[in-house]
Amino acid sequence: MTPHSDDADTEVVPERPAGTGSPPVRADGGNAAPSAADRVIRRPRSRLASAFALSSRVGRHAVVGIVALTVLFLIVPVLATFVSSFAAEWTGVLPSGFVTLSNWKQALGIDQTVGAQRGIGSGLQFSVLLALGGVLINLVVGVPIAYAVARYDFFGRDLVDTFSVLPIVPGLILGIAFLRTYPEISNSGVALIIGYSLLKAPYMVMAVKSSFESMDLRQLEESARSLGASWPRTFFTVVLPNAKEGIVSGSIICWTLAAAEFNFSYIVYSRGARPFSLFLFENISNNPFLRAAAAVSIYFLIVTVVTILLQLTGNRGFTTGGAQ
Amino acid sequence: MSTLQRGLRRRIERLVGRGERILRPVTERDRERRRIAVLVVPFAVLAVFGAVVPLWEMLKISVSEAQFETVGFTLAAYRTLLREPVYAEVAINSLWFGALTTVVSVCLGVAIAHALEKYDLPREDLLVTLISFPISLPGIVAAFMMFVLFGNTGLLTNFLAFLSGRASVDLAIATSVVGLFFGYLYSMIPRATFILRGTYAEVNADAEAAARSLGATPLETFYYVTLPQIRPGVVGALILTFRTALAIFGTVLVLKSLSVATLRIAREINIGFNIQIASAMAAVFFVFTFGFTFLALRFTNAEVGNA
Repeated sequence: MTPHSDDADTEVVPERPAGTGSPPVRADGGNAAPSAADRVIRRPRSRLASAFALSSRVGRHAVVGIVALTVLFLIVPVLATFVSSFAAEWTGVLPSGFVTLSNWKQALGIDQTVGAQRGIGSGLQFSVLLALGGVLINLVVGVPIAYAVARYDFFGRDLVDTFSVLPIVPGLILGIAFLRTYPEISNSGVALIIGYSLLKAPYMVMAVKSSFESMDLRQLEESARSLGASWPRTFFTVVLPNAKEGIVSGSIICWTLAAAEFNFSYIVYSRGARPFSLFLFENISNNPFLRAAAAVSIYFLIVTVVTILLQLTGNRGFTTGGAQ
Repeated sequence: MSTLQRGLRRRIERLVGRGERILRPVTERDRERRRIAVLVVPFAVLAVFGAVVPLWEMLKISVSEAQFETVGFTLAAYRTLLREPVYAEVAINSLWFGALTTVVSVCLGVAIAHALEKYDLPREDLLVTLISFPISLPGIVAAFMMFVLFGNTGLLTNFLAFLSGRASVDLAIATSVVGLFFGYLYSMIPRATFILRGTYAEVNADAEAAARSLGATPLETFYYVTLPQIRPGVVGALILTFRTALAIFGTVLVLKSLSVATLRIAREINIGFNIQIASAMAAVFFVFTFGFTFLALRFTNAEVGNA
């Protein structure tokens, strides 16, 4: 017997009163029908059907359990890193020797350390500026194209739509491509800024586009135009202010992701001030565990601050960053 | 002049005419075209100078005859890629590992998106924030997270050592392929989840409620009612997450346990500056992911909506 046969259907239907807790005895004193239904229920079920029946008892618990385990997997190491960065050593089961700031001081470059490892120095400042440059380009590039896609219908719109929200080139590949393309600028930060803006543009476009899509753009634009505003004026003084939320959250997300961009920076960077992500990489691959934990925690703090800022602009975390 | 040439000429004239009308619009439709052009041009400029020109340069380097300058034409680098078995191994590693981690991440993503959308979980806002947190972390930090969990003094390593009574050093798996597997998942689960959340937001809850009230079990409801509705989103998530998996570099650079394409490309540059080989690999990689995305989005019913 297959679960798709008619028998399977009759199996399901009489189960309904049982699900609501009603006893098999019927209130009207009973004819032959209840016993027939009982027989249907007692019939041995196929394996698939019993799996389906099992799902109503344990399904939700199983899914919730999976979610809980996944959240623990994602978050416990973050917390452990942050907590252990204040410990003096972690040789046993748990870190010990709380609370010391020496890991943080070394990571921040306040204390001199043994060996050649530099502290964070100007790297963070440098990355902050580079990421800001990337965000500025993204604003000039991403906001208009998001508007074009959200407001107008034109030849190739779907293609533009798809490729403006997809990261077309992976960071590492773009890094290889940049190695010899712009020799005169590749040692300055300009190459990094261009790369960051290209790599993070999808996040800006997505955030701004979802803002535009929640507005009645045609009506807004036509009202402003009929009141005598020129199109550029309409765009800058009516449309953009209404999309402020998306623009702000897009900028914040782009900035954070650009500040910690690693794959592209690793290939393109050659000399000069070191991007923040390379500082993290050096710490993770060469330094004692707890000092690396402090260095990584610096970035956690940045992301936490940024996440709070995003909550203030009405976003829940990095939720627009789905497509990377 | 042949008809072919005449036709071509007429077509060029029409294009030029349309270009002129965009610059000097006559009708309102022309003005709208000009607006669209103005809005698209900045992105096009960035795409050309940031992506097209460098990628073209990379392609030229991959067929260059000399190492330190771009001259001549030779397919030697591509022949090396085909001939030496190590590159085939790299490609196979990338593909199977990417496929495996993609399937696992998307399955977990479906479970999480389902629970967030359908169940009344406590502190749901906080959960969403926590699950999205790793999206902001670069791959090297994901690798560090694996040290924290599975390293020599890692939390899970110590826990397992406590349970089994064996030395923790024997149980550390951070730098094994299993550790790398979890490192990939760490980056990929949040991304898959947020693509699928967009899909789940559009599921028709009435149909599910109807199925349940007609006596379908939760699993039946999911299989026959929910799954057909989210299928395009799941296919889209598989495509995008697979791209993510192929492009992961920082995680594997730190953990080093499997020779995948990205790691190999970086090694070609770092050891001996084999820029022709690296460029050829990068070109193949780019053409593959680009073609894969294009074909997959074109020939499946995949939906790549906003997350």
